[in-house]
Amino acid sequence: MEAADVADTTSPSVVCSGLDIVYTVFGAKQKGTDTGGELPLVERLLTKRNPVSSVRKVHAVKDVSFVVNHGEAVGIIGRNGSGKSTLLRAVAGLMPPTNGRVWASGRPSLLGVNAVLLTGLTGAKNVMIGGLALGLTPRQVRERYDDIVDFSGIGDFVNLPMSAYSSGMGARLRFAISTAAAPDILMIDEALATGDAEFQARSRDRIAEIRRDASTVFLVSHSNAAIRESCDRVLWMEQGRLVMDGPTDEVVRAYEQSHRKATA
Amino acid sequence: MTIGHSNVVEDVEAPAARTEPARLTPEEAAALARGAGLEELGVRPGLLGYAREVWSYRHLVWHLSSAQAWATNQNNYLGQLWAVLNPLLLVGSYYLIFGLLLKTRGGTSNYIAFLTIGIFVFGYSASAIIAGSRAVVGQIGLVRALRFPRAVLPISVTLTQFLVNVPAFAVLMVMIPLTGEPFSPHWLLFPVALVFQSLINLGLAFFLARVVNAARDSANLVPVGVRLARYVSGVFFSIPHYAGHGLLSAVLLYQPLAVSMTTAREALMDQYPLTWGSWVAAAAWGVALSVTGIVFFWRGEGRYGSS
Repeated sequence: MEAADVADTTSPSVVCSGLDIVYTVFGAKQKGTDTGGELPLVERLLTKRNPVSSVRKVHAVKDVSFVVNHGEAVGIIGRNGSGKSTLLRAVAGLMPPTNGRVWASGRPSLLGVNAVLLTGLTGAKNVMIGGLALGLTPRQVRERYDDIVDFSGIGDFVNLPMSAYSSGMGARLRFAISTAAAPDILMIDEALATGDAEFQARSRDRIAEIRRDASTVFLVSHSNAAIRESCDRVLWMEQGRLVMDGPTDEVVRAYEQSHRKATA
Repeated sequence: MTIGHSNVVEDVEAPAARTEPARLTPEEAAALARGAGLEELGVRPGLLGYAREVWSYRHLVWHLSSAQAWATNQNNYLGQLWAVLNPLLLVGSYYLIFGLLLKTRGGTSNYIAFLTIGIFVFGYSASAIIAGSRAVVGQIGLVRALRFPRAVLPISVTLTQFLVNVPAFAVLMVMIPLTGEPFSPHWLLFPVALVFQSLINLGLAFFLARVVNAARDSANLVPVGVRLARYVSGVFFSIPHYAGHGLLSAVLLYQPLAVSMTTAREALMDQYPLTWGSWVAAAAWGVALSVTGIVFFWRGEGRYGSS
């Protein structure tokens, strides 16, 4: 922030201070749909069972603080149920903090595992609705429509309802929509895992492009290779706590060592 | 801030002995965020700011509603034709039961017109209330992925149901003269009645969407309530004829769903002259419910889709 010309890349785009997230889960039947595969471990470790009703409190994120600058690509690693997705949703403004505060610049765009916005509608309608929800005008969406469809590579499927898409195709379209709006903060939660190798390569290029525009990228992945390729900094989450925050090589190595200790 | 340094918060399994830059206090974090011009997340905006934000998403409301309305009847062979066929079949079966078997036509001179208006007008409210109650929980994919003022959802659901019912209203306008009603300039008031009714539906959608989001179980009660309302709101019988003119009759007659049908009948049927009472009541219900509804919904902003 000292010099005006470097302000773009060294000024913070996300500030997270003492973030705590506790949320309520209804009944055993609904939990699977709530945060995908993340819940069971969290529940076992962190919740107290209420004997009267099936409503439980999950303390998913505990006292997490960090500062991320414009143009940084931050990987988030940790075991299933360590609070990665919840943390991401809080930083995307989709989940209110129970304690602590989060600040962010501009409109964050989150790509989750379930990439489909509106299953019953065609890909084309999803492009329009997704674009508008990201703050584009109808005209801007129409201008970028061809680019979005080209990039997604789904071809004629764009005029079919998204319920007919494979999970990979849904993810491709969502990625194309989310990046077309040039978000200030792009968050990717395992969304690229379903894409094929060619699409993963293209999305890596697109992420690099977005970072050059001084946007911030968050990437949750269980593929350490993907984290190493795209990120220069990594947050390691364990049981809702931020265990380690540092350069990719160091943190990923420490994370891998902890596996070996656990399995040895 | 922390690039190039490692910040070990807790050394459970991480290797020890790292340079540990001092963690920011909450005050320092707030000052840093303010200095960088960042926006705080998870904080509910003021009511006026919220309304302005909703207005800036009006294109989203329109595209969401029109796309959903079109998709409603897409998953079968006859497609959009069902939008017209469904209400006609409903009129046929209600006429059979109430017109011919139970004979609830008392006090009406043109029972088919009376019944048709009742079914089509109430049908719009019924579908809007049921869909409105699920406005947030039913579109969780959208809520979980994108940040926009959630009031967009009840508004778009109400508009969707209006669009879905437009073919039914067109059928109604064709049927009314066929049942022998003389043409009247009062027919021009029918769209006005629909506007008041839509405001009533919108208000109810705001209330129910928040309640159902907070307590999922209540979603099961909404269809029950709607069914009950269908039988007490004068869809297929004339309230004054069967309930008399006492307090009970007045309550039944001036509750929002019944009043929507009364104004529609006054606009379209010769038997019912326009009365100030019902039109003022419809307008008052519409404004009161939609204004209190958005305030109620706004107070829950930030908690939608979080469980």
